[in-house]
Amino acid sequence: MKRTVRICIFTVLALAGTAFLLYGIYLNQVSSVLNKATHICLECIGIG
Amino acid sequence: MAKAKRVKGEWKRLTVQAAAFLLQNPKLHRFFLGTIEQGKTKSVCVPGLNCYSCPAAIGACPIGSLQASLSGGYKKPAFPFYVLGFLLLFGLTLGRWICGWLCPFGWVQDLVYRIPFFKKIRTFPYERFLRWLKYAVLGVLVIGLPLLSAFKGVLVPWFCKILCPAGTLFGGIPLAITKYGSQIGFYFWWKVGVLAALLLLSLLISRPFCRYLCPLGAIYGMFNRIALVHLDYASGKCVDCGKCETVCPMGIDPKAQFNSAECIRCGRCARSCPVDALHVRFGLRMKNDSHKKSTI
Repeated sequence: MKRTVRICIFTVLALAGTAFLLYGIYLNQVSSVLNKATHICLECIGIG
Repeated sequence: MAKAKRVKGEWKRLTVQAAAFLLQNPKLHRFFLGTIEQGKTKSVCVPGLNCYSCPAAIGACPIGSLQASLSGGYKKPAFPFYVLGFLLLFGLTLGRWICGWLCPFGWVQDLVYRIPFFKKIRTFPYERFLRWLKYAVLGVLVIGLPLLSAFKGVLVPWFCKILCPAGTLFGGIPLAITKYGSQIGFYFWWKVGVLAALLLLSLLISRPFCRYLCPLGAIYGMFNRIALVHLDYASGKCVDCGKCETVCPMGIDPKAQFNSAECIRCGRCARSCPVDALHVRFGLRMKNDSHKKSTI
């Protein structure tokens, strides 16, 4: 892969990643992650 | 008796892996309490496969969070912008270097593989087909089935429920010992069986979970060609001694597959190279851009 192509793909994906992260925060998706992570995940430990 | 191939400076990587485990799981006293951390830091995804039901964890597992976000937090299916943002940024900057240096379960497999007395297997016929399994795990257990469950209005993290060995080792077993022992059932013993099989396999093959089953490795592997952390190969210096191939924990040929999605950027090949033909570097500039001997 040519260097310029790789830099272009990298830049587009980096911008997309940042935009996704910020839009996710705007949509309050943080709370669904926090909610799942702060309660014992019974499926994860093989009980649920 | 066959030993794992020793490489100089390997203790540095094992130390970084141990430090990464402690940074992601600093609340060690909770292992004795049978409770998990509930602070705000748990809304942030950690780079490695680190179960958020591990009592000591202070961050969220990206694969668990991805499944939870797909179901919109028990409400309705949703596009997981927030978690995908983390995965994109982790993948673009570090790629599978995370697997080699930061993942707690990768560290455990590395430690188990170092146990001698067992004949070590580097690869075997048709192994490459097994490596595609991790993409099936990602598509079916992490995305497909949790999404189907979400359409029914329930959140079922299928990967965590039936496969994740990190969840069993760092979350399930400690919590079953301290608090939930009376509630364990079929799925617990199933997952203990999966974990035991993978650890036994780790005595013979380096990192079997990373090679064949890890959905996080499948995601990060897609970024290996463009990630900032990359492997530079100077073909002009190479003397084809084959040392890099014999020490690779993922069973690939680093000089032919330096951009492979399988490479975990552990640097064992670079450290074992007698002529410094391989280097793990950080940056957008790759010396092997043109793949010509004269450019090196």
